Amino acid sequence: MATSIVNADKSFIAREKPKKKKKKWQSYALLFILPSFLLYTLFVIVPTVGSVYLSFTSWDGISSDIRYIGFANFVEIWNSPRVHNALKNTMVMTISLVLLENIAAIAMAMMVDKVRWFRNLFRSIFYFPTLLSGIVMGFVWAMILNYNFGVFNQILSAIGLGDYIVDWLGNPKYAMLSIVLSTVWKGAGYYMIIYLAGLQGIPQELNEAASIDGAGGWQQFRHITFPLLAGSMTVCLVLSMISALKIFDQIAVMTDGGPGFETETLTYIIYKVGFGELRQGFGTALAMVLFLIILLITVIQVKVLQKREVQL
Amino acid sequence: MTLQTKRRITEILLFVITLLVAVIFFFPIFFNLMSAFKSNAEIMRDAIALPTSLYLDSFKYLLTETEFPRAILNSLILTVVAIVAQVLIIPMAGYAIERRNARWTRFIFVYFLAGMMIPFQAYMIPLFKELRVLGLYGGLAGPILIYVAGAVGFGCLLYTSFVKGIPREIEEAAEIDGCSRYGIFWRIVFPLLGPVTASMVVLNGLGIWNDFLMPMLVLPSGQAKTMVVEIYRYIGEFSSRWDMIFAGTALSVVPVLIVFIFLQKYFVKGIASGATKG
Repeated sequence: MATSIVNADKSFIAREKPKKKKKKWQSYALLFILPSFLLYTLFVIVPTVGSVYLSFTSWDGISSDIRYIGFANFVEIWNSPRVHNALKNTMVMTISLVLLENIAAIAMAMMVDKVRWFRNLFRSIFYFPTLLSGIVMGFVWAMILNYNFGVFNQILSAIGLGDYIVDWLGNPKYAMLSIVLSTVWKGAGYYMIIYLAGLQGIPQELNEAASIDGAGGWQQFRHITFPLLAGSMTVCLVLSMISALKIFDQIAVMTDGGPGFETETLTYIIYKVGFGELRQGFGTALAMVLFLIILLITVIQVKVLQKREVQL
Repeated sequence: MTLQTKRRITEILLFVITLLVAVIFFFPIFFNLMSAFKSNAEIMRDAIALPTSLYLDSFKYLLTETEFPRAILNSLILTVVAIVAQVLIIPMAGYAIERRNARWTRFIFVYFLAGMMIPFQAYMIPLFKELRVLGLYGGLAGPILIYVAGAVGFGCLLYTSFVKGIPREIEEAAEIDGCSRYGIFWRIVFPLLGPVTASMVVLNGLGIWNDFLMPMLVLPSGQAKTMVVEIYRYIGEFSSRWDMIFAGTALSVVPVLIVFIFLQKYFVKGIASGATKG
Protein backbone atom coordinates (compact mmCIF):
# COMPACT_ATOMS: atom_id res chain seq x y z
CA MET A 1 0.00 0.00 0.00
CA ALA A 2 2.71 2.42 1.00
CA THR A 3 4.83 1.83 -2.08
CA SER A 4 1.99 2.54 -4.49
CA ILE A 5 1.50 5.93 -2.85
CA VAL A 6 5.16 6.73 -3.15
CA ASN A 7 5.17 5.83 -6.83
CA ALA A 8 2.05 7.79 -7.62
CA ASP A 9 3.58 10.70 -5.76
CA LYS A 10 6.73 10.61 -7.87
CA SER A 11 4.82 10.82 -11.13
CA PHE A 12 3.38 14.13 -10.01
CA ILE A 13 6.54 15.83 -8.91
CA ALA A 14 7.38 17.16 -12.35
CA ARG A 15 3.84 18.20 -13.18
CA GLU A 16 3.01 21.91 -13.03
CA LYS A 17 -0.48 22.77 -11.99
CA PRO A 18 -2.38 24.53 -14.78
CA LYS A 19 -2.74 28.20 -13.83
CA LYS A 20 -6.43 28.58 -14.72
CA LYS A 21 -7.41 25.83 -12.29
CA LYS A 22 -6.48 27.97 -9.34
CA LYS A 23 -9.21 30.54 -9.95
CA LYS A 24 -11.89 27.88 -10.18
CA TRP A 25 -10.62 26.46 -6.92
CA GLN A 26 -10.68 29.65 -4.90
CA SER A 27 -14.20 29.58 -3.48
CA TYR A 28 -14.52 25.79 -3.32
CA ALA A 29 -11.39 25.30 -1.27
CA LEU A 30 -12.67 27.78 1.29
CA LEU A 31 -16.05 26.07 1.51
CA PHE A 32 -14.48 22.62 1.76
CA ILE A 33 -12.15 23.65 4.55
CA LEU A 34 -14.49 25.93 6.48
CA PRO A 35 -16.47 23.34 8.53
CA SER A 36 -13.31 21.64 9.79
CA PHE A 37 -11.68 24.99 10.44
CA LEU A 38 -14.59 26.35 12.47
CA LEU A 39 -15.06 23.23 14.62
CA TYR A 40 -11.36 22.80 15.23
CA THR A 41 -10.88 26.44 16.15
CA LEU A 42 -13.94 26.53 18.39
CA PHE A 43 -13.40 23.24 20.26
CA VAL A 44 -9.62 22.83 20.29
CA ILE A 45 -7.85 26.15 19.80
CA VAL A 46 -10.22 28.46 21.70
CA PRO A 47 -10.21 26.31 24.86
CA THR A 48 -6.43 25.87 24.62
CA VAL A 49 -6.01 29.65 24.52
CA GLY A 50 -8.49 29.79 27.40
CA SER A 51 -6.24 27.39 29.31
CA VAL A 52 -3.25 29.67 28.83
CA TYR A 53 -5.29 32.51 30.32
CA LEU A 54 -6.77 30.48 33.19
CA SER A 55 -3.35 29.19 34.19
CA PHE A 56 -2.60 32.73 35.42
CA THR A 57 -5.71 32.88 37.60
CA SER A 58 -6.90 31.44 40.89
CA TRP A 59 -10.28 30.37 39.45
CA ASP A 60 -12.12 27.65 41.37
CA GLY A 61 -14.19 26.51 38.39
CA ILE A 62 -17.57 27.62 39.70
CA SER A 63 -17.66 31.25 40.83
CA SER A 64 -17.54 34.17 38.43
CA ASP A 65 -14.56 35.51 40.38
CA ILE A 66 -11.62 34.87 38.06
CA ARG A 67 -8.68 36.65 39.62
CA TYR A 68 -5.40 37.21 37.78
CA ILE A 69 -2.50 36.11 39.98
CA GLY A 70 0.44 36.25 37.59
CA PHE A 71 2.91 33.39 37.82
CA ALA A 72 1.80 32.30 41.31
CA ASN A 73 0.47 28.93 40.03
CA PHE A 74 3.74 28.16 38.29
CA VAL A 75 5.73 29.15 41.36
CA GLU A 76 3.57 26.77 43.38
CA ILE A 77 4.16 23.98 40.84
CA TRP A 78 7.89 24.60 41.11
CA ASN A 79 7.75 24.30 44.91
CA SER A 80 5.06 21.65 45.42
CA PRO A 81 6.30 18.24 46.62
CA ARG A 82 3.05 16.66 45.41
CA VAL A 83 3.64 17.90 41.86
CA HIS A 84 7.27 16.76 41.99
CA ASN A 85 6.09 13.35 43.08
CA ALA A 86 3.55 13.24 40.21
CA LEU A 87 6.26 14.26 37.75
CA LYS A 88 8.54 11.54 39.10
CA ASN A 89 5.74 8.97 38.81
CA THR A 90 4.99 10.13 35.26
CA MET A 91 8.63 9.69 34.33
CA VAL A 92 8.97 6.26 35.94
CA MET A 93 5.76 5.11 34.31
CA THR A 94 6.63 6.53 30.89
CA ILE A 95 10.14 5.09 30.77
CA SER A 96 9.12 1.64 31.98
CA LEU A 97 6.08 1.54 29.71
CA VAL A 98 8.02 2.59 26.61
CA LEU A 99 10.72 0.00 27.27
CA LEU A 100 8.49 -2.91 28.24
CA GLU A 101 5.81 -2.28 25.61
CA ASN A 102 8.35 -2.14 22.82
CA ILE A 103 10.32 -5.17 23.99
CA ALA A 104 7.10 -7.16 24.35
CA ALA A 105 5.81 -5.93 21.00
CA ILE A 106 8.99 -6.90 19.15
CA ALA A 107 9.03 -10.33 20.80
CA MET A 108 5.37 -10.90 19.97
CA ALA A 109 5.82 -9.69 16.39
CA MET A 110 8.71 -12.11 15.89
CA MET A 111 6.70 -14.98 17.37
CA VAL A 112 3.72 -14.26 15.12
CA ASP A 113 6.00 -13.77 12.13
CA LYS A 114 7.77 -17.10 12.61
CA VAL A 115 5.16 -19.40 14.12
CA ARG A 116 3.80 -22.00 11.70
CA TRP A 117 0.34 -22.77 12.94
CA PHE A 118 -2.64 -20.48 13.79
CA ARG A 119 -0.67 -17.36 12.91
CA ASN A 120 -3.74 -15.14 12.40
CA LEU A 121 -5.39 -16.37 15.56
CA PHE A 122 -2.32 -15.50 17.62
CA ARG A 123 -2.10 -12.08 16.04
CA SER A 124 -5.74 -11.42 16.90
CA ILE A 125 -5.33 -12.58 20.48
CA PHE A 126 -2.30 -10.34 21.06
CA TYR A 127 -4.01 -7.44 19.39
CA PHE A 128 -7.49 -7.68 20.92
CA PRO A 129 -6.74 -6.09 24.35
CA THR A 130 -5.83 -2.82 22.62
CA LEU A 131 -9.45 -2.51 21.53
CA LEU A 132 -10.82 -2.38 25.07
CA SER A 133 -11.38 0.79 27.04
CA GLY A 134 -8.91 1.59 29.78
CA ILE A 135 -11.76 1.57 32.28
CA VAL A 136 -12.89 -1.94 31.40
CA MET A 137 -9.41 -3.40 31.26
CA GLY A 138 -8.43 -1.59 34.45
CA PHE A 139 -11.40 -3.06 36.24
CA VAL A 140 -10.70 -6.59 35.04
CA TRP A 141 -7.12 -6.32 36.23
CA ALA A 142 -8.19 -4.79 39.52
CA MET A 143 -10.31 -7.89 40.06
CA ILE A 144 -7.54 -10.27 39.04
CA LEU A 145 -5.05 -8.55 41.36
CA ASN A 146 -7.46 -8.10 44.29
CA TYR A 147 -5.82 -9.08 47.55
CA ASN A 148 -8.66 -11.09 49.08
CA PHE A 149 -10.53 -12.65 46.17
CA GLY A 150 -8.25 -12.05 43.20
CA VAL A 151 -7.40 -14.84 40.81
CA PHE A 152 -3.71 -13.98 40.71
CA ASN A 153 -3.12 -14.57 44.41
CA GLN A 154 -5.23 -17.73 44.21
CA ILE A 155 -3.02 -19.04 41.44
CA LEU A 156 0.10 -18.15 43.42
CA SER A 157 -1.08 -20.11 46.44
CA ALA A 158 -2.28 -23.00 44.27
CA ILE A 159 1.15 -23.47 42.73
CA GLY A 160 2.92 -23.21 46.07
CA LEU A 161 4.09 -19.61 45.81
CA GLY A 162 1.84 -18.50 48.66
CA ASP A 163 4.71 -16.54 50.23
CA TYR A 164 4.59 -14.10 47.33
CA ILE A 165 1.01 -13.06 47.95
CA VAL A 166 0.81 -9.32 48.40
CA ASP A 167 -1.79 -6.60 48.00
CA TRP A 168 -0.83 -5.74 44.44
CA LEU A 169 -2.78 -2.50 44.22
CA GLY A 170 -2.88 -1.46 47.86
CA ASN A 171 0.82 -1.87 48.62
CA PRO A 172 2.87 1.21 47.64
CA LYS A 173 5.72 -1.03 46.49
CA TYR A 174 3.67 -2.90 43.90
CA ALA A 175 0.91 -0.51 42.80
CA MET A 176 3.00 1.16 40.10
CA LEU A 177 4.31 -2.19 38.86
CA SER A 178 0.77 -3.56 38.62
CA ILE A 179 -0.42 -0.59 36.56
CA VAL A 180 2.61 -0.74 34.28
CA LEU A 181 2.34 -4.49 33.62
CA SER A 182 -1.40 -4.42 32.97
CA THR A 183 -0.91 -1.48 30.61
CA VAL A 184 1.76 -3.45 28.75
CA TRP A 185 -0.81 -6.23 28.39
CA LYS A 186 -3.27 -3.72 26.98
CA GLY A 187 -0.93 -1.72 24.75
CA ALA A 188 1.76 -4.01 23.34
CA GLY A 189 -0.48 -5.53 20.65
CA TYR A 190 -0.85 -2.20 18.92
CA TYR A 191 2.89 -1.79 18.49
CA MET A 192 3.18 -5.46 17.56
CA ILE A 193 1.11 -4.75 14.42
CA ILE A 194 3.51 -1.96 13.41
CA TYR A 195 6.59 -4.13 14.06
CA LEU A 196 4.97 -7.00 12.19
CA ALA A 197 4.55 -4.77 9.14
CA GLY A 198 8.22 -3.82 9.52
CA LEU A 199 9.35 -7.44 9.84
CA GLN A 200 7.44 -8.46 6.77
CA GLY A 201 9.24 -5.76 4.82
CA ILE A 202 12.65 -7.33 5.55
CA PRO A 203 13.77 -9.43 2.57
CA GLN A 204 14.04 -13.10 3.52
CA GLU A 205 17.25 -13.50 1.48
CA LEU A 206 19.21 -11.47 4.03
CA ASN A 207 18.54 -13.96 6.81
CA GLU A 208 19.16 -16.90 4.51
CA ALA A 209 22.49 -15.50 3.36
CA ALA A 210 23.51 -14.82 6.96
CA SER A 211 22.53 -18.30 8.02
CA ILE A 212 24.63 -19.81 5.20
CA ASP A 213 27.53 -17.68 6.44
CA GLY A 214 27.02 -19.31 9.83
CA ALA A 215 25.27 -16.55 11.73
CA GLY A 216 23.12 -17.84 14.60
CA GLY A 217 19.68 -16.66 15.58
CA TRP A 218 20.86 -13.99 17.96
CA GLN A 219 23.45 -12.67 15.49
CA GLN A 220 20.81 -12.47 12.76
CA PHE A 221 18.54 -10.55 15.09
CA ARG A 222 21.32 -8.23 16.24
CA HIS A 223 22.72 -7.42 12.80
CA ILE A 224 19.79 -7.77 10.40
CA THR A 225 16.37 -7.64 12.03
CA PHE A 226 17.08 -5.02 14.68
CA PRO A 227 18.68 -2.38 12.42
CA LEU A 228 16.06 -2.88 9.72
CA LEU A 229 13.29 -2.36 12.26
CA ALA A 230 14.61 1.13 13.03
CA GLY A 231 11.83 2.83 11.06
CA SER A 232 9.03 0.99 12.86
CA MET A 233 10.83 1.51 16.13
CA THR A 234 10.94 5.28 15.85
CA VAL A 235 7.21 5.37 15.17
CA CYS A 236 6.46 3.02 18.05
CA LEU A 237 8.68 4.92 20.48
CA VAL A 238 6.94 8.23 19.69
CA LEU A 239 3.46 6.71 19.93
CA SER A 240 4.11 4.71 23.09
CA MET A 241 5.76 7.66 24.83
CA ILE A 242 2.88 10.04 24.08
CA SER A 243 0.26 7.51 25.16
CA ALA A 244 2.21 6.73 28.34
CA LEU A 245 2.34 10.44 29.21
CA LYS A 246 -1.44 10.65 28.84
CA ILE A 247 -2.30 7.50 30.80
CA PHE A 248 -5.43 8.11 32.86
CA ASP A 249 -8.24 5.53 32.74
CA GLN A 250 -6.32 2.65 34.30
CA ILE A 251 -5.20 4.79 37.22
CA ALA A 252 -8.75 6.03 37.79
CA VAL A 253 -10.08 2.48 38.13
CA MET A 254 -7.17 0.57 39.62
CA THR A 255 -5.70 2.85 42.28
CA ASP A 256 -7.27 6.33 42.07
CA GLY A 257 -3.74 7.71 42.30
CA GLY A 258 -3.00 5.81 45.51
CA PRO A 259 -1.98 4.24 47.75
CA GLY A 260 -1.12 7.65 49.15
CA PHE A 261 0.13 9.42 46.05
CA GLU A 262 2.15 6.49 44.74
CA THR A 263 0.52 6.30 41.30
CA GLU A 264 -0.55 9.90 40.88
CA THR A 265 0.69 11.08 37.49
CA LEU A 266 0.58 14.47 35.84
CA THR A 267 -2.64 13.79 33.92
CA TYR A 268 -4.24 12.40 37.03
CA ILE A 269 -3.27 15.31 39.26
CA ILE A 270 -4.69 17.77 36.70
CA TYR A 271 -8.05 16.05 36.93
CA LYS A 272 -7.93 15.67 40.72
CA VAL A 273 -6.94 19.28 41.36
CA GLY A 274 -9.31 20.74 38.77
CA PHE A 275 -12.48 18.79 39.46
CA GLY A 276 -11.92 17.15 42.83
CA GLU A 277 -10.34 20.03 44.72
CA LEU A 278 -11.95 22.81 42.66
CA ARG A 279 -8.72 24.60 41.84
CA GLN A 280 -9.12 24.90 38.11
CA GLY A 281 -6.67 27.78 37.74
CA PHE A 282 -3.96 25.62 39.26
CA GLY A 283 -5.18 22.63 37.26
CA THR A 284 -4.83 24.45 33.95
CA ALA A 285 -1.35 25.64 34.94
CA LEU A 286 -0.42 21.97 35.42
CA ALA A 287 -2.03 21.19 32.06
CA MET A 288 0.24 23.77 30.45
CA VAL A 289 3.24 22.00 31.95
CA LEU A 290 2.02 18.68 30.48
CA PHE A 291 1.49 20.35 27.11
CA LEU A 292 5.01 21.78 27.12
CA ILE A 293 6.51 18.40 28.00
CA ILE A 294 4.65 16.69 25.15
CA LEU A 295 5.59 19.50 22.77
CA LEU A 296 9.26 19.25 23.73
CA ILE A 297 9.35 15.46 23.35
CA THR A 298 7.57 15.61 19.99
CA VAL A 299 9.97 18.23 18.64
CA ILE A 300 13.03 16.26 19.80
CA GLN A 301 11.67 13.03 18.34
CA VAL A 302 10.76 14.61 15.01
CA LYS A 303 14.34 15.89 14.83
CA VAL A 304 15.70 12.41 15.54
CA LEU A 305 13.28 10.94 13.02
CA GLN A 306 14.49 13.29 10.30
CA LYS A 307 18.12 12.48 11.05
CA ARG A 308 17.38 8.78 10.64
CA GLU A 309 15.60 9.40 7.36
CA VAL A 310 18.69 11.11 6.00
CA GLN A 311 20.75 8.07 6.97
CA LEU A 312 18.34 5.75 5.20
CA MET B 1 20.12 -35.28 14.60
CA THR B 2 19.47 -34.14 11.06
CA LEU B 3 18.87 -30.53 10.17
CA GLN B 4 15.24 -31.37 9.39
CA THR B 5 14.40 -32.76 12.82
CA LYS B 6 16.26 -29.87 14.42
CA ARG B 7 14.12 -27.42 12.49
CA ARG B 8 11.02 -29.38 13.41
CA ILE B 9 11.86 -29.16 17.10
CA THR B 10 12.43 -25.39 16.87
CA GLU B 11 9.06 -25.00 15.16
CA ILE B 12 7.23 -26.96 17.83
CA LEU B 13 9.04 -25.16 20.62
CA LEU B 14 8.15 -21.77 19.13
CA PHE B 15 4.55 -22.85 18.77
CA VAL B 16 4.34 -23.94 22.40
CA ILE B 17 5.85 -20.68 23.65
CA THR B 18 3.52 -18.60 21.49
CA LEU B 19 0.56 -20.64 22.66
CA LEU B 20 1.55 -20.09 26.27
CA VAL B 21 1.85 -16.33 25.82
CA ALA B 22 -1.47 -16.29 23.96
CA VAL B 23 -3.18 -18.12 26.83
CA ILE B 24 -1.83 -15.55 29.30
CA PHE B 25 -2.99 -12.78 26.97
CA PHE B 26 -6.46 -14.14 26.51
CA PHE B 27 -7.01 -15.05 30.14
CA PRO B 28 -8.26 -11.65 31.43
CA ILE B 29 -10.90 -11.47 28.70
CA PHE B 30 -11.96 -15.04 29.26
CA PHE B 31 -12.06 -14.39 33.01
CA ASN B 32 -14.26 -11.35 32.48
CA LEU B 33 -16.77 -13.10 30.24
CA MET B 34 -16.84 -16.17 32.47
CA SER B 35 -17.39 -14.16 35.65
CA ALA B 36 -20.34 -12.34 34.11
CA PHE B 37 -22.28 -15.60 34.35
CA LYS B 38 -21.56 -16.17 38.03
CA SER B 39 -23.46 -14.89 41.02
CA ASN B 40 -21.76 -12.57 43.46
CA ALA B 41 -21.45 -15.33 46.05
CA GLU B 42 -19.86 -17.64 43.50
CA ILE B 43 -17.30 -15.00 42.53
CA MET B 44 -16.40 -14.34 46.16
CA ARG B 45 -16.15 -18.03 47.00
CA ASP B 46 -13.89 -19.07 44.15
CA ALA B 47 -12.96 -16.50 41.52
CA ILE B 48 -11.13 -18.97 39.35
CA ALA B 49 -13.80 -21.67 39.12
CA LEU B 50 -16.01 -22.03 36.07
CA PRO B 51 -19.64 -20.92 36.51
CA THR B 52 -21.77 -23.77 37.88
CA SER B 53 -24.89 -22.62 36.06
CA LEU B 54 -25.80 -19.99 33.51
CA TYR B 55 -26.57 -17.15 35.92
CA LEU B 56 -28.24 -14.31 34.02
CA ASP B 57 -29.71 -12.23 36.85
CA SER B 58 -27.03 -9.54 36.75
CA PHE B 59 -27.68 -8.93 33.05
CA LYS B 60 -31.40 -8.83 33.73
CA TYR B 61 -30.95 -6.35 36.56
CA LEU B 62 -28.62 -4.12 34.54
CA LEU B 63 -30.94 -4.02 31.56
CA THR B 64 -34.20 -3.49 33.45
CA GLU B 65 -33.44 -1.75 36.73
CA THR B 66 -30.59 0.64 35.91
CA GLU B 67 -29.73 3.39 33.44
CA PHE B 68 -27.54 0.96 31.52
CA PRO B 69 -29.75 0.65 28.39
CA ARG B 70 -29.84 4.43 28.05
CA ALA B 71 -26.04 4.51 28.44
CA ILE B 72 -25.66 1.91 25.66
CA LEU B 73 -27.91 4.03 23.45
CA ASN B 74 -25.89 7.17 24.26
CA SER B 75 -22.64 5.41 23.37
CA LEU B 76 -24.13 4.24 20.08
CA ILE B 77 -25.51 7.68 19.17
CA LEU B 78 -22.25 9.42 20.04
CA THR B 79 -20.13 6.96 18.08
CA VAL B 80 -22.31 6.74 14.98
CA VAL B 81 -23.18 10.43 14.63
CA ALA B 82 -19.65 11.65 15.37
CA ILE B 83 -18.15 9.21 12.87
CA VAL B 84 -20.65 10.15 10.14
CA ALA B 85 -19.95 13.85 10.76
CA GLN B 86 -16.18 13.22 10.66
CA VAL B 87 -16.47 11.38 7.36
CA LEU B 88 -18.64 14.15 5.86
CA ILE B 89 -16.44 17.04 6.94
CA ILE B 90 -12.80 16.03 7.23
CA PRO B 91 -12.11 14.40 3.80
CA MET B 92 -13.36 17.58 2.08
CA ALA B 93 -10.84 19.65 3.98
CA GLY B 94 -8.03 17.18 3.32
CA TYR B 95 -8.87 17.12 -0.39
CA ALA B 96 -9.02 20.90 -0.72
CA ILE B 97 -5.76 21.37 1.19
CA GLU B 98 -3.97 18.93 -1.12
CA ARG B 99 -5.43 20.14 -4.41
CA ARG B 100 -5.55 23.89 -3.78
CA ASN B 101 -1.91 24.31 -2.98
CA ALA B 102 -1.66 27.94 -1.86
CA ARG B 103 0.07 29.68 1.00
CA TRP B 104 -3.12 29.91 3.06
CA THR B 105 -4.01 26.22 2.65
CA ARG B 106 -0.49 25.25 3.65
CA PHE B 107 -0.85 27.44 6.72
CA ILE B 108 -4.21 25.82 7.60
CA PHE B 109 -2.62 22.38 7.24
CA VAL B 110 0.08 23.22 9.77
CA TYR B 111 -2.56 24.84 12.00
CA PHE B 112 -4.57 21.59 11.94
CA LEU B 113 -1.53 19.40 12.57
CA ALA B 114 -0.57 21.46 15.62
CA GLY B 115 -3.75 20.19 17.29
CA MET B 116 -2.44 16.63 17.25
CA MET B 117 0.09 17.63 19.88
CA ILE B 118 -2.39 19.25 22.28
CA PRO B 119 -3.50 16.68 24.87
CA PHE B 120 -7.16 16.74 25.87
CA GLN B 121 -6.21 17.46 29.48
CA ALA B 122 -4.59 20.70 28.33
CA TYR B 123 -7.91 22.24 27.35
CA MET B 124 -10.61 20.23 29.12
CA ILE B 125 -11.28 22.78 31.87
CA PRO B 126 -12.07 25.77 29.59
CA LEU B 127 -13.89 23.42 27.19
CA PHE B 128 -16.25 22.43 29.96
CA LYS B 129 -16.96 26.12 30.60
CA GLU B 130 -17.28 26.87 26.87
CA LEU B 131 -20.02 24.27 26.39
CA ARG B 132 -22.08 25.95 29.10
CA VAL B 133 -21.60 29.37 27.47
CA LEU B 134 -22.64 28.00 24.07
CA GLY B 135 -25.69 26.29 25.58
CA LEU B 136 -24.40 22.87 24.52
CA TYR B 137 -24.05 21.47 28.01
CA GLY B 138 -26.49 18.67 28.80
CA GLY B 139 -27.02 17.13 25.37
CA LEU B 140 -25.13 14.83 23.07
CA ALA B 141 -24.46 17.57 20.47
CA GLY B 142 -21.56 19.04 22.47
CA PRO B 143 -19.55 15.80 22.74
CA ILE B 144 -20.20 15.05 19.05
CA LEU B 145 -18.79 18.41 17.97
CA ILE B 146 -15.80 17.92 20.27
CA TYR B 147 -15.08 14.50 18.73
CA VAL B 148 -15.22 15.89 15.19
CA ALA B 149 -12.98 18.82 16.10
CA GLY B 150 -10.52 16.50 17.82
CA ALA B 151 -10.20 14.30 14.71
CA VAL B 152 -9.45 17.12 12.28
CA GLY B 153 -5.65 17.06 12.64
CA PHE B 154 -4.99 13.37 12.18
CA GLY B 155 -7.82 13.01 9.65
CA CYS B 156 -6.45 15.76 7.41
CA LEU B 157 -2.99 14.22 7.59
CA LEU B 158 -4.34 10.84 6.45
CA TYR B 159 -6.58 12.23 3.72
CA THR B 160 -4.08 14.65 2.17
CA SER B 161 -1.51 11.89 1.77
CA PHE B 162 -4.09 9.62 0.13
CA VAL B 163 -5.46 12.31 -2.19
CA LYS B 164 -1.89 12.77 -3.47
CA GLY B 165 -2.05 9.25 -4.85
CA ILE B 166 -5.19 9.87 -6.89
CA PRO B 167 -4.39 10.84 -10.51
CA ARG B 168 -5.57 14.31 -11.40
CA GLU B 169 -6.60 13.17 -14.90
CA ILE B 170 -9.72 11.50 -13.54
CA GLU B 171 -10.89 14.78 -12.06
CA GLU B 172 -9.98 16.72 -15.20
CA ALA B 173 -12.01 14.37 -17.36
CA ALA B 174 -15.04 14.83 -15.13
CA GLU B 175 -14.58 18.58 -15.20
CA ILE B 176 -14.62 18.61 -19.01
CA ASP B 177 -17.86 16.63 -18.85
CA GLY B 178 -19.30 19.49 -16.82
CA CYS B 179 -19.14 18.09 -13.32
CA SER B 180 -18.99 20.63 -10.48
CA ARG B 181 -16.34 20.58 -7.74
CA TYR B 182 -18.81 19.05 -5.31
CA GLY B 183 -19.76 16.45 -7.87
CA ILE B 184 -16.13 15.63 -8.56
CA PHE B 185 -15.39 15.25 -4.90
CA TRP B 186 -18.41 13.24 -3.79
CA ARG B 187 -18.85 11.09 -6.90
CA ILE B 188 -15.27 10.48 -7.93
CA VAL B 189 -12.69 11.27 -5.27
CA PHE B 190 -14.58 10.23 -2.16
CA PRO B 191 -15.25 6.64 -3.31
CA LEU B 192 -11.56 6.31 -4.16
CA LEU B 193 -10.74 7.28 -0.58
CA GLY B 194 -12.63 4.23 0.67
CA PRO B 195 -9.70 2.41 2.32
CA VAL B 196 -8.58 5.42 4.34
CA THR B 197 -12.19 6.17 5.32
CA ALA B 198 -12.57 2.59 6.51
CA SER B 199 -9.45 2.87 8.68
CA MET B 200 -10.61 6.17 10.09
CA VAL B 201 -14.05 4.78 10.88
CA VAL B 202 -12.75 1.75 12.78
CA LEU B 203 -9.99 3.55 14.67
CA ASN B 204 -11.92 6.70 15.61
CA GLY B 205 -15.10 4.72 16.22
CA LEU B 206 -13.26 2.57 18.71
CA GLY B 207 -11.70 5.63 20.33
CA ILE B 208 -15.10 7.25 20.82
CA TRP B 209 -16.77 4.06 22.02
CA ASN B 210 -14.02 3.61 24.65
CA ASP B 211 -13.61 7.26 25.63
CA PHE B 212 -13.99 7.97 29.32
CA LEU B 213 -12.74 11.34 30.53
CA MET B 214 -14.54 13.61 28.05
CA PRO B 215 -18.06 12.16 28.33
CA MET B 216 -17.67 11.95 32.09
CA LEU B 217 -16.87 15.66 32.27
CA VAL B 218 -19.22 17.16 29.72
CA LEU B 219 -22.37 15.08 30.15
CA PRO B 220 -24.56 16.16 33.07
CA SER B 221 -24.29 14.20 36.28
CA GLY B 222 -27.31 12.36 37.59
CA GLN B 223 -28.24 11.11 34.11
CA ALA B 224 -27.09 8.17 32.06
CA LYS B 225 -23.86 9.07 30.31
CA THR B 226 -22.03 6.51 28.18
CA MET B 227 -21.41 2.85 28.75
CA VAL B 228 -17.82 3.27 29.87
CA VAL B 229 -18.72 6.09 32.28
CA GLU B 230 -21.61 4.04 33.63
CA ILE B 231 -19.29 1.10 34.30
CA TYR B 232 -16.92 3.44 36.12
CA ARG B 233 -19.84 4.72 38.22
CA TYR B 234 -20.86 1.16 39.14
CA ILE B 235 -17.35 0.35 40.27
CA GLY B 236 -17.79 2.99 42.97
CA GLU B 237 -21.45 2.38 43.63
CA PHE B 238 -21.69 -1.41 43.66
CA SER B 239 -18.24 -1.97 45.08
CA SER B 240 -19.36 -5.22 46.66
CA ARG B 241 -21.47 -6.39 43.70
CA TRP B 242 -18.84 -7.76 41.36
CA ASP B 243 -21.39 -9.74 39.41
CA MET B 244 -23.01 -6.48 38.23
CA ILE B 245 -19.74 -4.91 37.16
CA PHE B 246 -18.60 -8.05 35.39
CA ALA B 247 -21.91 -8.18 33.52
CA GLY B 248 -21.54 -4.52 32.55
CA THR B 249 -17.97 -4.91 31.32
CA ALA B 250 -18.93 -8.08 29.43
CA LEU B 251 -21.73 -6.15 27.71
CA SER B 252 -19.19 -3.57 26.58
CA VAL B 253 -16.60 -6.13 25.44
CA VAL B 254 -18.91 -8.33 23.35
CA PRO B 255 -19.84 -5.70 20.68
CA VAL B 256 -16.15 -4.82 20.25
CA LEU B 257 -15.32 -8.52 19.93
CA ILE B 258 -18.01 -9.02 17.27
CA VAL B 259 -17.04 -5.94 15.26
CA PHE B 260 -13.39 -6.97 15.48
CA ILE B 261 -14.05 -10.46 14.17
CA PHE B 262 -15.80 -9.08 11.10
CA LEU B 263 -13.63 -6.04 10.38
CA GLN B 264 -10.25 -7.40 11.47
CA LYS B 265 -8.37 -6.48 8.33
CA TYR B 266 -9.48 -2.84 8.55
CA PHE B 267 -8.17 -2.54 12.10
CA VAL B 268 -4.82 -3.96 11.12
CA LYS B 269 -4.58 -1.89 7.94
CA GLY B 270 -5.69 1.19 9.81
CA ILE B 271 -2.89 0.88 12.32
CA ALA B 272 -0.27 0.11 9.72
CA SER B 273 -1.25 3.05 7.50
CA GLY B 274 -1.84 5.37 10.45
CA ALA B 275 1.58 4.60 11.83
CA THR B 276 3.51 5.16 8.63
CA LYS B 277 1.65 8.37 7.81
CA GLY B 278 1.61 9.70 11.35
